[in-house]
Amino acid sequence: MNIAYQGEHLLPGQLGQFFIILAFGSALFSTISYYFATTEANKFDTSWLWMGRIGYFLNSISVIGIGSCLFYIIYNNLFEYHYAWEHSSRTLPVYYIISSFWEGQEGSFWLWGFWQAVLGNILIWKAKSWEKPVLTIVALAQTLLSSMLLGIEIFGARIGSSPFILLRQALEAPIFSQPDYLSFIRDGNGLNPLLQNYWMVIHPPILFLGFASMVVPFAYAASGLWQKRYKEWVQPAISYSLFAVMVLGTGVIMGSRWAYESLNFGGFWAWDPVENAALIPWLTLIGAVHVMIVYKNTGHAYFTATFLTLVSFILVLYASFLTRSGVLGDTSVHAFTDLGMFWHLVVDAVVFLIIAVVLLVWRWKELPISKKEEETYSREFWMFVGAVFLALSCLQLIVVTSIPVWNDIFKTHIAPPSNPVTLYNVFQAGFAVVVTLLAGVTQFLKYKKTDTTRFFIISLIYLVFAAVITGLIVYITGVYHLRFVFVLVMFGAVYSLLANVKVLADVFKGKTKLAGSAVAHIGFGLIMVGALIAAGTSKVISQNNTGLEYGSDFDKTNNPRENIMLYKNEPLKMADYLVTYVGDSVSAPNHYFLINYKQLDSSGKVKAEFTLKPNSQFNVKMSSLISSPDTKHYIFHDLYTHISMAPVSVLEAGMDDGHGQENDSTSYNPPVSHEVSVGDTIPYRDGYIVLQSLNKQAHVQNIPLGPNDVAVGAELKVVSHGITYNAEPVFMVKNGSVFDFARKVDDAGLKLRLSKIIPEKNKVEITLYDQPESKRPYVVMRAIEFPDINFLWTGTIIMVIGFLISIFRRNKELKTD
Amino acid sequence: MRFVFLHSITADKPLMKKSSIFGIVVIAVAIAIIVCTYGSSSSYGTFADAQKNGGQLHIIGYLDKQKGMVYDAAKDANYFSFYMKDTLGKECKVVYTSTKPEDFERSDKIVLTGQMAGNEFHASHILLKCPSKYTKDKVEVSAKQSSI
Repeated sequence: MNIAYQGEHLLPGQLGQFFIILAFGSALFSTISYYFATTEANKFDTSWLWMGRIGYFLNSISVIGIGSCLFYIIYNNLFEYHYAWEHSSRTLPVYYIISSFWEGQEGSFWLWGFWQAVLGNILIWKAKSWEKPVLTIVALAQTLLSSMLLGIEIFGARIGSSPFILLRQALEAPIFSQPDYLSFIRDGNGLNPLLQNYWMVIHPPILFLGFASMVVPFAYAASGLWQKRYKEWVQPAISYSLFAVMVLGTGVIMGSRWAYESLNFGGFWAWDPVENAALIPWLTLIGAVHVMIVYKNTGHAYFTATFLTLVSFILVLYASFLTRSGVLGDTSVHAFTDLGMFWHLVVDAVVFLIIAVVLLVWRWKELPISKKEEETYSREFWMFVGAVFLALSCLQLIVVTSIPVWNDIFKTHIAPPSNPVTLYNVFQAGFAVVVTLLAGVTQFLKYKKTDTTRFFIISLIYLVFAAVITGLIVYITGVYHLRFVFVLVMFGAVYSLLANVKVLADVFKGKTKLAGSAVAHIGFGLIMVGALIAAGTSKVISQNNTGLEYGSDFDKTNNPRENIMLYKNEPLKMADYLVTYVGDSVSAPNHYFLINYKQLDSSGKVKAEFTLKPNSQFNVKMSSLISSPDTKHYIFHDLYTHISMAPVSVLEAGMDDGHGQENDSTSYNPPVSHEVSVGDTIPYRDGYIVLQSLNKQAHVQNIPLGPNDVAVGAELKVVSHGITYNAEPVFMVKNGSVFDFARKVDDAGLKLRLSKIIPEKNKVEITLYDQPESKRPYVVMRAIEFPDINFLWTGTIIMVIGFLISIFRRNKELKTD
Repeated sequence: MRFVFLHSITADKPLMKKSSIFGIVVIAVAIAIIVCTYGSSSSYGTFADAQKNGGQLHIIGYLDKQKGMVYDAAKDANYFSFYMKDTLGKECKVVYTSTKPEDFERSDKIVLTGQMAGNEFHASHILLKCPSKYTKDKVEVSAKQSSI
């Protein structure tokens, strides 16, 4: 059945699909050409090389073409395309259109492919004698990546998933039998509110640049084996590896910053499989960088260097399989759902695994594996040990994260640990102790051979210093409440900080070579210190049961009740703060709750005051609520506040600008009448009301008064929980009929009527309606204090600076060699 | 650090090559990882299993929408209870000491972590899966704070 659909814009999609096919074809062509260029015996025949280059350029152009078409579709709200409908909406501001671009799997594959195209071009420009073999590998990776976007059927199986599929092709619904179906599709689904955060604009590109750059060290290591250039591959690979770990590390921390700012689990790291997936290759490549340096300087550890480099990229592909194939289904919140690419992703990882294994086996006999052992008191030996421990910590992450994979392979039915956070924390802390101590100790060792007496004296002095400082930190911050292994991590981190500060001091005396390493290690030390204190001693201050409590990890038997309820305008004491829910501010689709904090000193005086605005997005259509926290940042701690729950009535009132129609009789307690004179006080549950005066000239909007009409207003002062409001209910006699106009004081949960005037007693009757507690606006919130978290963020910046210095140094060496 | 200890013994009297010792340490750690992972791993089960064993368990099931849910912030902001049917159809009251998770009613599949306490199942962790085929949103909540 052919239907002539109206209003569809098919051109950008067809153009995009053309670019996808071209991207795949040209990448394949480039791979084959580069392969023959590498194996070509005639050194002067450059035809294969040029074909490879042209193929790669064509691929780069196609990738940009795909991106442009997709951006055009999303930007112009062409909801006939499933991708735009699924991930964007008309109200989305431009900078979030960028994040909606990579919300889906296809967009993030594109991002990866884009960076790989950029890196490939840099390699064509820079790699010189390495170009042919290295580009063969990179182009192969690009071919496999492009195939993920194909979305075409071959032998009944769909290969890849195209972002240019039409809505009517993706979904099946009766509406698509109407030629004018598009006129019914007014808007897209929009971007997940949690992703509407500026970190989500910048974090994915950085992360994917990190993933993409992991292919370069792999390509060099593999080419080193292939071309039997066992020694030379290390030098350029070190630079690219440093770049990859720098970028990937930054991307990972940016992700945790995003989680901290906009997710509500109350922290910056949760060992979610998706987080682990990015950390796994980072750990192995960090290890690889260290052993590559060892190999370059001493000739030891060739195999470990090659192995870790090769395995890092295979783990990138494995990580993308974990997060994209849907295999994590029951264990992760963040993983993508399956797009039917399970086996495709497996093939991608297996292809590179086979390449690595075949090359290693093929060259096994000639590998330059040193027969001689490293000296015990040499830097290279302990760097090697550190790298192996990094790999072991990575192994632990893989084994636990992959539980669903083991279940699939061995047909078992094991559930992940019921307290995975503790398991990861304890294990990873153990590895961190070894790694941080080694990052300190190796600074006092020299390559090849070290003077042992001097080494023992100096490292011992630093050890003692570190122990003293650790003792102080642990005592002041309260880390000693935690498991002992965390105290040891602190010790290791402090020790590595001190040792590297010493190296940095030497740098200023002229030993500039180690500047990068010293700075990067200092940054890493600070990250460990910050993460440990912030996560270990974070304190839920909104706890209902008082007392010092530590996170779930550290006190299992206790069951902390972490949420408190705040009625509007009713202050509550919470740790050192007086907290009040003072109001709402709505800017669709966000509903901001204004939470006022008054910090009290010991005498109860207000020391500081601020208002936090945690927000929730309430989706009326789906009646779902998604909340984001707000955090007050200080230099030495953060105060994090998050709305766990708010009654729908409050949110709906917010949606229609506070004019929500409620049935008054049901939302108030039965009325209570009071006969009062001017100056009298009426006590009530939350405070008191004073009749200040009677206003004989009261008037009510839009109601003109005749000569015989009377209107009296009762000027009332309402004091509720120390806050004063004014209200003036009006009593009116018009044309012989009696009316009265009630006034509401919503924030105090009151409705007041001047219901009767009693001239003989010189009194009036005030009728008071108060809202039962359950009808009053309230929020349920959770507040957590994170001490010293800024060490984590500054440590990251310092580490990146260290990596940059190292990259410059290595590149300079590359030129002088 | 057992490794340093072992090593210092052999430094003077090379009974074994350093690399062999290191290799043994590495293998030992690797085995420890696998054993610990297996040992600490939980299992999927049913309410009947939870009643029998009394330990921590993962239970997959469905919300019983007829029986209703209890969450009244005014009474207790940290008490939420509901009824869930496990895969064998056995129903049990579940108590969760936190707020009602967002989107709870929309869930079609629930993965609970926790243990039995009397006739109630006390959940420490709830993973919700929402029905729509085209929304990826799964919502995960934990009664307690996550910490590193």
